[in-house]
Amino acid sequence: MSWKIWSLKKSPWVFHVNTGACNNCDIEIVNLLTPKFDVERFGIKLVGSPRHADALLVTGVVTAQAAPRLREIYRQTPKPCVVFCIGACACHTGIFRGGYHVVGPVDKIIKEIDPNAIIAYVPGCPPKPEAMISGVVKALSVL
Amino acid sequence: MNQEELNNKLAEIKDKLIGIEQKPNNRIYLLCEAENNYAVNKFLFEDVPLRFVIATGIDSDDCFEVLYHYAYDQTGCMVTVKAFIRDREKPAIESITPFLPGAGWIEREIHDILGIDFNNHPDMRRLILADDWPEGVYPLRKQCDGIKVAGWGGETSARPTVQSQSPARRTVPLSKPIVAVGPFHPLQEEMEFFQLTVDGEIVTDIDMRISYNHRGIEKISESLQFDQVPFLVSRVCGICSASHPLAYVQAVEELAGVKPPERALYVRTIVNELERIHSHMLWFGLAGHFIGYDTVFMWAWKYREPVLDLLEEITGNRNNYGNVKVGGCREDIPDELRARIIRDIDELEKKVDMLVKVVFDDPVIHARVKGVGILTREDAIRYAVTGPTARASGIDIDVRRDEPYALYGELDWNVITRPEGDVFAKVVVRLLEVLESIKIIRQAARKLPAGPITTEVKEIPPGESCGRVEAPRGETFHYIRSDGGNRPVRHKIRAPSYVNVPSFRASCIGEHIADVTITLAAVDPCYSCTERLAVVDRHNSVIHNYEALLKLSRERTAQIKKDFGLSGLKMEDL
Repeated sequence: MSWKIWSLKKSPWVFHVNTGACNNCDIEIVNLLTPKFDVERFGIKLVGSPRHADALLVTGVVTAQAAPRLREIYRQTPKPCVVFCIGACACHTGIFRGGYHVVGPVDKIIKEIDPNAIIAYVPGCPPKPEAMISGVVKALSVL
Repeated sequence: MNQEELNNKLAEIKDKLIGIEQKPNNRIYLLCEAENNYAVNKFLFEDVPLRFVIATGIDSDDCFEVLYHYAYDQTGCMVTVKAFIRDREKPAIESITPFLPGAGWIEREIHDILGIDFNNHPDMRRLILADDWPEGVYPLRKQCDGIKVAGWGGETSARPTVQSQSPARRTVPLSKPIVAVGPFHPLQEEMEFFQLTVDGEIVTDIDMRISYNHRGIEKISESLQFDQVPFLVSRVCGICSASHPLAYVQAVEELAGVKPPERALYVRTIVNELERIHSHMLWFGLAGHFIGYDTVFMWAWKYREPVLDLLEEITGNRNNYGNVKVGGCREDIPDELRARIIRDIDELEKKVDMLVKVVFDDPVIHARVKGVGILTREDAIRYAVTGPTARASGIDIDVRRDEPYALYGELDWNVITRPEGDVFAKVVVRLLEVLESIKIIRQAARKLPAGPITTEVKEIPPGESCGRVEAPRGETFHYIRSDGGNRPVRHKIRAPSYVNVPSFRASCIGEHIADVTITLAAVDPCYSCTERLAVVDRHNSVIHNYEALLKLSRERTAQIKKDFGLSGLKMEDL
């Protein structure tokens, strides 16, 4: 295991990217920080800049306006960086499939600029906070 | 003015109309040609006066229609001006934004999605579509199939990134300092882009860019069947995921003439009020976070969890309930859950009482948010704001009382208003509304009658109708048009933030930068709603991220605390 992966797994700092979600996954992500779930006790921290992030929590369908911004954010993260697709929309554009302003899903956009990106999927509409924690743990344990 | 006087008043502009249609449920449609549209709207807004709700653009077979919806809150009447634009080649109509700034966004949106020109609109830039959306492609026209747009097709790899100059961005002379906020920033979960022009510490202008969250729900809705749409519209916005489907379902029920059984009305009331509680608690926590009270954030969200658990017990999901369907509800409230609902909201009431006391007693909160971000009553009317934002500016409107739906007409509760219009008033209105919601749920849970929760719906006849629901942020409005088939031919959604957000122009200008954070947050903006529709921009002269703005806001609270000699005071001491 390279030291980069080791340090990423030890205490993953995450940056939250909304690319056109209905706000539910986003609220559940913020919920992770509050007393009932409190992921900070595992060393998981929501940070304010993609340059500090080990992982991106991406929600939403990726709208036409958001796609270039998502690419730019991914470019700004230090690699290796795990991209978590949170929710049905991020995984496969969900109920908004076929919308004229939808260019996603997330993995398609990320793979356009980095074919070897590490992408993990947490389905659900919205996924429960427990499911998100479980998804993060599973993804980190296979790295 | 009662309904008869309103009808007489409306008859005064008869010579400008080509017809008046009276439809069930107190809906009046005024039909006119495009050239008379301005005069009719000006009469309705200024002389009657009615409250502007939203406009809808429709691509009919032989013409374009622009519908301006107004509400008359004293009698729960909806008045709709239906203007016909006969010229399909170069559709144009006179803009009403010069006297009604609240219509500014929707006219820009209709221009984006239908290609109708609004003459004399003061600010006709792109609003809802992406920066690089091809010119001349209008997604809501019927010949545009919406899946693949010609000449664009969602092929994105070759397109430029953030350096591209947005056609929607206002160009400001470089001599003026600009503070760019968004579209991604650490706290607000959604994307939005604010451009603040500042003079020293004072904000002199604000510009907003949305579109990041526009998913084209109205178009997708036209491809779904009537009974599938509630699941789509509950995903308009995660926090209003009970209000949007309910507004849609009420519109369809009005069209089909269906009356849901009584027990379904009780279930709808309880689920909607639980939603209001969790939304207001969420907002209160975030507001605390914005001004530097993280304890409030943690506590408010902790108290919110039992409400989400109740919703999960009832509907099967913590959010996105999808619990209403045309003619009733999908999931029932089991009888054994009633005791738990009452117990949990009793418990919550004590906590909310404590929070109310904190807000009323803490001198720092008073100094920090009183007199900040004032939205005057006049501006509130001009921008047509709704919900707690309007009620905090002294406008006494609430759909639950003005046009009672579900069970609200039969229960005992109050509409909370405050005259001040500042952030403090908005905090107080929301907190006191939580207490009212608790009252409503308690009564409904005690009285819950036995019986079925659904009734059979045979077919949806052709026609049009509207449904209104008081969502946590204000009035949610849905307009449906059916041609007798199994899908809506037009489905217009107006979420409350769509009219509340533009009011920033009235409330932020003249404020300190440090106060902008809380002022922006005070209307509880919801962009996924607004758009059913932060990378810091490099081409702006000053780069300033949201974290810095948040820091400024918190420093100001700390300074006030210091001035009061309270720097060591903790939440627990209060």
